[in-house]
Amino acid sequence: MEPINWHSVFFLLFALVGCGFSVAVLLTSNVVRMAFYLVLALAATSGLFFLAGADFVGAMQIMIYVGGTLVLLIFGVMLTARGPFISMRTPAGEWILGAIIGGSLLVVLLSAATSVRAWRPVAVAEGEARPTATRLGMALLGARVDKLEEPDPTQREGMSGYLLPFEIVSVHLLVVLVGSAYLARPKKRAVGSTAETV
Amino acid sequence: MAEYLQQYLPQSLAYLTAALVHAVLILVVVALGTLIFIWLERKVSGRIQDRLGPTRVGGKFGWLQTLADGLKLITKEDLRPASADSMLFLIAPYVSLCASYVAYIALPFADGWVAIHLNVAVFFIVAVLGLEVFGVMLAGYASGSKWSLFGAMREAAQVVSYEVPLGICVVVPVLIAGTMDLVAIGQMQAGWFFNWFLFHDPFTFIVFWVYFTCATASVNRAPFDLAEAESELVAGFHTEYSGVRWSIFFMAEYSSMVVVSALAAILFFGGWNGPLPITHWLGLADSANPLAHYVANLLGLINFLGKAIAGVTFMMWVRWTLPRLRIDQVMATCLKYCTPIAAFGFAGAVIWTFLFPGGLVIPNKDWVVQEEYQLDEPQAQSAASTSAASTSPLAHADSGLHAEEHHGTD
Amino acid sequence: MATQTDDPRIIEFDVRTDEMLVNMGPQHPSTHGVLRLVLRTDGEIVSEATPHIGYLHRCAEKIGENLTPRQWIPYTDRMDYLAGMNMNLGWSLAVEKLMNLELPEKARHLRVLIAEMNRIASHLVGMGAYGLDLGTFSPFLYAFREREKILDLFEEVCGARLTYSYITVGGATADLPPGWLQKCEAFLDQLRPVIDEYHALLTTNAIFVRRTAGIGVLSAEKAIDYGCTGPVLRGSGVDYDLRRDGEQRYTEMYDGYAFEVIVERDGHYPKDHDYPPVPKTAVLGDCWHRFYVRMLEVMQAMDLVRQAIDRYSMCSGDWGTPVKLTEKLPKGDAYMETECPRGQMGFYIVSNGGSIPLRARARSSSFCNLSVTYDLCRGCLIADVPAIVGSLDIVMGEIDR
Repeated sequence: MEPINWHSVFFLLFALVGCGFSVAVLLTSNVVRMAFYLVLALAATSGLFFLAGADFVGAMQIMIYVGGTLVLLIFGVMLTARGPFISMRTPAGEWILGAIIGGSLLVVLLSAATSVRAWRPVAVAEGEARPTATRLGMALLGARVDKLEEPDPTQREGMSGYLLPFEIVSVHLLVVLVGSAYLARPKKRAVGSTAETV
Repeated sequence: MAEYLQQYLPQSLAYLTAALVHAVLILVVVALGTLIFIWLERKVSGRIQDRLGPTRVGGKFGWLQTLADGLKLITKEDLRPASADSMLFLIAPYVSLCASYVAYIALPFADGWVAIHLNVAVFFIVAVLGLEVFGVMLAGYASGSKWSLFGAMREAAQVVSYEVPLGICVVVPVLIAGTMDLVAIGQMQAGWFFNWFLFHDPFTFIVFWVYFTCATASVNRAPFDLAEAESELVAGFHTEYSGVRWSIFFMAEYSSMVVVSALAAILFFGGWNGPLPITHWLGLADSANPLAHYVANLLGLINFLGKAIAGVTFMMWVRWTLPRLRIDQVMATCLKYCTPIAAFGFAGAVIWTFLFPGGLVIPNKDWVVQEEYQLDEPQAQSAASTSAASTSPLAHADSGLHAEEHHGTD
Repeated sequence: MATQTDDPRIIEFDVRTDEMLVNMGPQHPSTHGVLRLVLRTDGEIVSEATPHIGYLHRCAEKIGENLTPRQWIPYTDRMDYLAGMNMNLGWSLAVEKLMNLELPEKARHLRVLIAEMNRIASHLVGMGAYGLDLGTFSPFLYAFREREKILDLFEEVCGARLTYSYITVGGATADLPPGWLQKCEAFLDQLRPVIDEYHALLTTNAIFVRRTAGIGVLSAEKAIDYGCTGPVLRGSGVDYDLRRDGEQRYTEMYDGYAFEVIVERDGHYPKDHDYPPVPKTAVLGDCWHRFYVRMLEVMQAMDLVRQAIDRYSMCSGDWGTPVKLTEKLPKGDAYMETECPRGQMGFYIVSNGGSIPLRARARSSSFCNLSVTYDLCRGCLIADVPAIVGSLDIVMGEIDR
C-alpha cells in the first residue's frame, strides 16, 4: 500500500480551509459572520505555518491576526450597529475595483512563483526540524546566531541583526497606543456625576 | 509513540493513531477535569457558605453530581431565540471549547509528557487562550439579546486589555529560562523548591501574583466575571443558552481555568518537580531504566496536577469571597496596577538576572552555564530519547508533529 | 422619557454610539422581586433609569375594606414580608388609636422586643441581598443563617416563620413561651461576633467600598423632597427616627429605652469606636452610608432587644389580650406612623361605626425610597444600578401592596 503522505494531506486540508473561508468572507454580507470566517481562514494559515515547522510565526499569526480580527469585530459591531444584525452590501463598483486589485496581486504572485527555475530543497537536514524561536529572538536583539552556520562568506556578511527595525516598530506602536488613547478621550467630562470616565 | 506503534502498524497509520490517541487523551482530560472541577467548586463553595454541597449522587460526597447534572442538561431542550443569528449561535460554544482544548496540546503534564513538544509553547498557549473570548463574543452577538451583547462587549474589552499584563508576566519566567519551551522551563526548576522561579528573585514573586490576577481576569472568573455578571446582566453572554450548549461554555471556562493554573504551576512553581527532589534521591529521574523514569514521571504528574488543582481551588476561594468589580474598575486595575507592576517586575527581573545570574538562594549550575543558543537541541533530544523509551501514551514529547513533517518531506 | 442632551452629567464621547433601551426586570435577578427598570444606556453608561411598578399589586387595601381590622392583619404581613411583625404593629397601633385602647406595660415591652428582633432579621436580609447585588454570594448565606435563627425563635412564638400575624389589635395573640427569653439572649450573644464577620466581608472590603462609596449620592434636601425615610434618609445625614420623633402613642412604647438615632453627626456615627471607620472615599448619602446605617441599626436593635428582655421579664401581669375579632369600631379616622426597618410605614383607617372599616390605607416607605432611583441612576454605570437599587433595600410587596 502506498503510504499516505500526511504532510500533504494536512497541507491540502489547511489550504482548502483557508481558501474556502476566504471566499466565504467575500460572499457573506453579515459583518460578524465575515469576521468569523476571517478568523477561520487566518487560523488555517497559522496551521500551514505550524506544518512548515515555523512554530513562532504560527503562534504569532494566531495572536496578532486572530486577535486583531477580534478588535475589528468589536469596532464593526459598535460603530456600524443600527439594527440587530449588521448587513454590508458591497456595491458593484467596489466589487470591480477589488477584483482588479486582487487579480493583479494574484498575477504578480503567480508569475513570481512560476518564474522560479528550480525550488530550493528543504534546507533542514533529514530527521531534524530545528526550532527557530531562539534564533529569531536573538536576531531581533541584533545577534545573528545563524550566521555561524552560513558557509558562504559573502552571504554571511549581509546578515545583520534586526535591532533597529525592531526598535522603530516598537516606538511606532507606542506612538499609536498613545495616539489612540488621546483620540478616545472624552470631549466632555462628567460634572457632579457618579460615573467616572471609562 | 508513533515510532513505538510503527513496529506493529504501517507507518502512515501509526502516525495517525498516535495523533488520535493524544487528541482523545486530552479530550478526556478536558471533560473529566470539568466534571471534577465543577464538583469541587460546589463542594468548596458549599463549605465556604456553611453548606454541605452535593452529598447524595454517587454515594459519598456526591461525587457523581456533575454527571447527573450533565445528563439533565443533555435532556433539556436546545432553545434558540427567534432573533438569533442561528449559525453563529449554534457554533459559538464550540469555538470557546476548541480554544481552551487546543491550549492543552502544548501543555506538558510531566517531564516530556506533552502531546506536541512546541518550541514556543508559552507563546502558543497564551495566544490560543486569547481565542476563547471569540466564542464568547460570537455568543453574545448572535444571541440577539441586549444583555448578551453587553456581556460580550465587556468580555472583549476585558480580555483584550488583560492580555497585555498577562503577556508581560509570562515573559518574566521565559526571560529567566531563556526559552519558551515549557518542558525546558520545567526541567530548569528541578531540585529543591527554592529552584522554582517563584523564589528566583523578589520580582518573580510579585509577578506571580500579577499573573494570577490577570489569569483570573482573562478566564473570566470572579471578581472579574463581568461578562456573566448575574446581578447586572442576567447571565451575560450565555443568557439565551440552554442545555448542552450552555454546559459546553462551562467546559470551556473550567478547562481554561485549569490551563492558566497549570501554566502558573510550570512557570512559577516548578511544574512537575516536587518541593523536595525525592525522585533524585530515589534515583528515579536520573536512572537509565525507562520504567524508573516512568515512575518518576507519574510522581511528577501527581505533583503537577496537585499544583494546578491548588491554583483552581484558590480561584474558587476568591470567587466565593469577593464582590464583583465594576467595568471601569476592572479596566483601571488592568491599566493602572497590573500593567505597571508587571512591567516593573519585568524590568526588575532583567536587572536581577543580569546581576545574579544564579537565582536568589542557590544557583542551579546545571543550566545557568549553558549557552543560550545551544539550549534547544540537547534538551529536546534528551526528552525525545526518554519518552521514546517509555511506554506511556502521553509520552513522546515531540515526535508527533515533527515526525509527520519529516515523513512528509520524504 | 427623552434624554436631555444638555444635562452636564451625561458624558459625551468623541465616538458616538447608539443608545440602547433595555429592560431590567421584571424577571431580573437583582431587582428584589418584580421591579422593572427601563434603562436607556449609552454603552455601559445609563442615561436614564425609569422604574415601573405594579407587578405585585394584590388589592390589599381594597380587601381591607371588607374585613375587620384583626382579619386584615395577615394582609399586612404580606406587605413588607421581610418585616411582618413591624407591619402588624403599625396596623395594630392605628386601630388602637382609633379605638383609644390602652395597653398593659408588659404588652409594650413585648412589642418592642418582637419588633426589634424583626428589624434585625429584615436588615440581615437587606445586607445579604446587597452583597448579592454586588456579586458576592457568601455573605447572603451567612446572613440567612442568622436570620433562620430569628425565624426559629418567631416560630416558637407564633407558629409562623414569615407571615406571623402575631402582634394584633389589643396586644399579641399569645405570650412568649417559657424559656424563650434565654434562647433570645443566647442568640444575641452569638450574633455579636458574626456582625464583625459581616463588616470584614462587606463593610470594609476594598472592592465593596469601591463599588458603593461615592455611588448614588442622595443629598439630604433631595431625600426630604422625595419623602425618603428610614435608613435611606438617615444615610443622607437627616436626624429623623419615628421611634424618637414620632407620635406620642408610638414613642411612649420606647419610653425609658436608651438608644441613639443612627445618623452621622460631625463625621461620626454614635458609638462608632465599636465599628469600622468610614472610608475616606465615602460621601454622606451614598450607597455605603445607607448600608452602614443598616448595619449599625442591627447593633442598635440588638441593644434594644436586650433592654426589652430585661423590662419584659420584670413585668408581671397581662401581655395584652387581643380584642374580639368583630369588635365594633368607633366612628372616625386615625393615622399612625411607625418606624419600620425600611422607614416610615403609615396606616390610615376610617370607620363609620361598624366592625369593618370604611377605608384601610397604607403609606409605604419603599415606594418613596424607590422614587429616587430615577434621579440617582442618571449617568451611572450599569453595574451601579443594582448597587443603588439594592442600597435602597426595597420590598416590592410593600410598594405594590
